[in-house]
Amino acid sequence: MALRSTAKGWGPVARAFHWGMLLLFLGIIPVGYYMTDLPLGLAKLKIYALHKSVGLTLLGLAVLRLVWRLGDRRPTLPPMPAWQARAASAAHALLYVLMFAMPLSGWVYNSASHFPLQWFRLVNLPAIVGENKPLAALAKEAHEVGALVLIAIVVLHAAAALKHHFVDKDATLRQMLPSKGDRR
Amino acid sequence: MNTAPKPAQVLAALLLCGLGARAGAAPSYPVVAAQSSLSFVGTQQGERFTGVFRTFDARIDYAADDLPGSRFDVTIPLKSLDTKSTERDQALVTADWFDVAHFPAATFRTVGMRTTPGGVVADADLSIKGRTKRIVFPFTWKAASTGATLDARVTLDRLDFGLGGGEWADESTIGRKIDVIVHLTLAAPAPVAPAGKVNGKLPPKH
Ligand code: HEM
Ligand code: HEM
Repeated sequence: MALRSTAKGWGPVARAFHWGMLLLFLGIIPVGYYMTDLPLGLAKLKIYALHKSVGLTLLGLAVLRLVWRLGDRRPTLPPMPAWQARAASAAHALLYVLMFAMPLSGWVYNSASHFPLQWFRLVNLPAIVGENKPLAALAKEAHEVGALVLIAIVVLHAAAALKHHFVDKDATLRQMLPSKGDRR
Repeated sequence: MNTAPKPAQVLAALLLCGLGARAGAAPSYPVVAAQSSLSFVGTQQGERFTGVFRTFDARIDYAADDLPGSRFDVTIPLKSLDTKSTERDQALVTADWFDVAHFPAATFRTVGMRTTPGGVVADADLSIKGRTKRIVFPFTWKAASTGATLDARVTLDRLDFGLGGGEWADESTIGRKIDVIVHLTLAAPAPVAPAGKVNGKLPPKH
């Protein structure tokens, strides 16, 4: 089975990255909003640790995904207005930026507020900046605004995919879905 | 051979005994706050962190040849702790940890000093959060041209003092062992004045 994407559809690697990371995003974002309201305590510390571990996992996956994508091709788009194709490409580019900006702003915030950073209790990661309160506040702001932008873009991006599938009845979504159909 | 002591020797011996027995006879060294620190090292989520107590009062009376007359008496206002993390500092003063609202200060008082093969060791009562534990406190005393330095490092079990009980007792998130590191720079003892409390106020954060 070819791992790369073809003219007819996204390859299995691109699809695995896409849907696998979607699941992690669906987990980490609600956890992010939930955890901040918890009272100070061990539970809060543990949930934060989980959020950070998943976030770091997403950062690692984003690196691999980008590297893979740069060596991959994109399938031929079904016929659609040029603005839609451009908007889709812009959304994908922005999503890639956010895939890095989210975990990195989290990491900067964590480092600048002098908190430990452990990946699933297995390895500790170094601080990427020194203790710095103004920078911590800035990174926190970026992380919060970034989360809102991420949610907005994903909603638009998913809505567009569904519109192509159900209204235009074209292959856009099928090219990314893990079904046999349109791919070779 | 005449073994009977001369009257002068008897007098000298009596004087020495008298001096030795008088508590607090050892000179009292004022702490040079700017060059002294009281810090601790803990572990959180697999990472070591260091904290300091920015203020403490220490009375240090010491003479190597007068251990019974030597004593250390230290009071540490716990809200002066600083671990370089606002969140952690806020957590550490709550009831789960130091409970500063009910127990504002920790105290350290030596009850005796003795010479061991490894050097001089103090036995001391350490009180934190209303619990007192007798600890062994080995220290290094170095006389300087004026004054002296005192260095010590002891390892404590935070659970002995009820620090982080309950859900926090499990040490996978916060380690139980805490290293306490003492470094005091001491000025020359005041010639006659009675030993007084010295404020060990550290310079503010920058
Ligand atoms: C793709 C990765 C990530 C996503 C999508 C994400 C998402 C979120 C969201 C939605 C919130 C709640 C924001 C709010 O309260 O308005 C949040 C909070 C937070 N995140 Fe992340 N996060 C990610 C990675 C990370 C990483 C890697 C770290 C740390 C190394 C981290 C540390 C934090 C912290 C400390 C908070 C709490 C901020 C606060 O106190 O308000 N995040 N995150
Ligand atoms: C329910 C949610 C989602 C749906 C239905 C969906 C659907 C799709 C579809 C159909 C494509 C193919 C578009 C084309 O061929 O031009 C696609 C591509 C893409 N999607 Fe999503 N998506 C969702 C969530 C996400 C999320 C959460 C992210 C990232 C944070 C994301 C990032 C991307 C990227 C970067 C591409 C371009 C292909 C690549 O480089 O992997 N998507 N998505």
